[in-house]
Amino acid sequence: MTTKDFTEQGKPQQERKNLLEVKNLKTYYPIHGGFFKRVVGNVKAVDDISFTIKKGETMGLVGESGCGKSTTGRTILRLIKPTGGQIIFDGEDITRIGGSKLRKARQDFQMVFQDPYASLNPMQMVGDIISEPIKNFERRDKKELEEFVKSLLVRVGLPETAYYKYAHEFSGGQRQRIGIARALALNPKLIIADEPVSALDVSVQSQVLNLLKDLQKEFDLTYLFIAHDLSVVKHMSDTIGVMYLGNLVEVASNKDLYSEPLHPYTQALISAIPEPDPKLRKERIVLQGDVPSPANPPTGCPFHTRCPMAQEICSQEKPPLKEVRPGHHVACVLY
Amino acid sequence: MTTNAATGAVKRPEKSSSPWAIARRKFLKNKMAMISTVFLILVIILTLLAPFLAPYLSPIPDITKVNISKMSIAPNGDHLLGTDKSGRDVMTRLLYGGRISLLVGASATLIVVVLGTIVGSVAGFFGGAVDSLLMRFTDFVLNFPFLVFVIVLNTILFGIIDGLWVLILVIGLLSWGGVARIVRSKVLAEKENEYVLAAISIGTSPAKVIIKHLLPNVLSTIIVQSTLLFASLIVAETGLSYLGFGVPQETPSWGNMLAFANEPDVLQGKPWIWMPPALIITATILSINFIGEGLKDALNPKSQR
Repeated sequence: MTTKDFTEQGKPQQERKNLLEVKNLKTYYPIHGGFFKRVVGNVKAVDDISFTIKKGETMGLVGESGCGKSTTGRTILRLIKPTGGQIIFDGEDITRIGGSKLRKARQDFQMVFQDPYASLNPMQMVGDIISEPIKNFERRDKKELEEFVKSLLVRVGLPETAYYKYAHEFSGGQRQRIGIARALALNPKLIIADEPVSALDVSVQSQVLNLLKDLQKEFDLTYLFIAHDLSVVKHMSDTIGVMYLGNLVEVASNKDLYSEPLHPYTQALISAIPEPDPKLRKERIVLQGDVPSPANPPTGCPFHTRCPMAQEICSQEKPPLKEVRPGHHVACVLY
Repeated sequence: MTTNAATGAVKRPEKSSSPWAIARRKFLKNKMAMISTVFLILVIILTLLAPFLAPYLSPIPDITKVNISKMSIAPNGDHLLGTDKSGRDVMTRLLYGGRISLLVGASATLIVVVLGTIVGSVAGFFGGAVDSLLMRFTDFVLNFPFLVFVIVLNTILFGIIDGLWVLILVIGLLSWGGVARIVRSKVLAEKENEYVLAAISIGTSPAKVIIKHLLPNVLSTIIVQSTLLFASLIVAETGLSYLGFGVPQETPSWGNMLAFANEPDVLQGKPWIWMPPALIITATILSINFIGEGLKDALNPKSQR
């Protein structure tokens, strides 16, 4: 994998507008219990997170399994109902819209799903899968639509004949390309990629990642790239957000985060990236214990139960996410 | 099937097998199911051709008219399967009766499948309050005293609607609960797949998500269920007619024919009156069940044959 930084090729930062603004987003799943199924508690999958993505940039979202990355992505796309906060997309508040208005708005933000085997309808022809989003919004000449879909297939690296086939006739990587073509069909502004390569072989991963990068340049796309693999996120992102237990603990530019991680959790994560050079020995920070349950999160800083640098105050007060250096936000009492 | 009809218009440069085509190949290889299919089609054709066939097999055109001079004649050249206690030709009644029994079974199945699928898929897809409401209603229908309702409705609607359609409606309206539950549980499981979420994210409306994405994927279950239902609803018709609450007595049906054979002397000494309907009912139900099993195997992607 190349590790060329994408920002080097991009436009200067100042020119760019915010495409997506997430303010204090919360997604809770109620826990029902008792005889009358009263709400006895909440699983705080996403607990008060805020970030912005500039047009044409890629924001990476990392964190371990179950930390709420996918829920964040799905909530932003309004596939899950947000419990609180605001989602402002391209200047418009989409947090509370619904029905046909929401359906219309969906043209501009699309998703690439994690599981290429489950995300394509096994009963549909690939051509129908990719043309469905277009058919949902406009009436187009049948021939013209077919030509367009075929050109999309070619663009994502599949043969034109794939149009007439069914999903089960393709490999995982090819299926993911079909999923990408479907997301591209409406020419969206934002694509949320929910661990698009985690189900793929390493050899195929880089092909799909490079395809996503090429498409970003070609179609001027903005990505929210969700992953648990730090090297993948490093390859893809301009800015990176680190999530832990439904909270955003650190947000920084790609370069800053890898060269100088501030939050103890981020430091532990980065120390876990395998080093290809056997002569270089790194000090590995091994975290003790398990992730606490989001249904019953620890008081204060969510990370204090496993933090090697935890102090007394950590269990009492939740540190807010604050800008400690230009563009580098961290939620920790140490800074 | 629908998938093929939809894609038939475009030419395919390469032979590609849809999940339906794979199922069809598997079904065609299943001998028992194929024999049953041929038998069932034969029965349907024979009963449909009853007006043309009957005069050749037995020269009594009127199937309902009682003929005292010809009571309980054993099979002979004039009456291939003999006559019943009222002097009516058994062969002719068997052919016409098949029409009624199969019509009742098929129409009731259609009502059941349509109602059950709509209720089940809507409940499963939307969940929450909609689900609770629809499922409680389903429970209510499932627990309805079937026989009592049939008797009451038969009495009320007697003379207003043709007795046959009363029976079809009653059977249909009271039997969809099971299908609704099965469809709901299937939809609940299928809904978890990301392609449903993907369909919502590309702006597909809920109705279209159900019809274009969920139903094709639960259709195999519905098809298998409806064949088995078809068989059991034919039995329901037979049973009700035997009890006297089914098809009006003057209309011949397989159940009505059996109902005439509830006397010891007929049962012991005149088997030609009750054997033919009993045998044809058994054979038809068996073959439908074999077809159902064959479809189940064919439509299950995990079974390899």
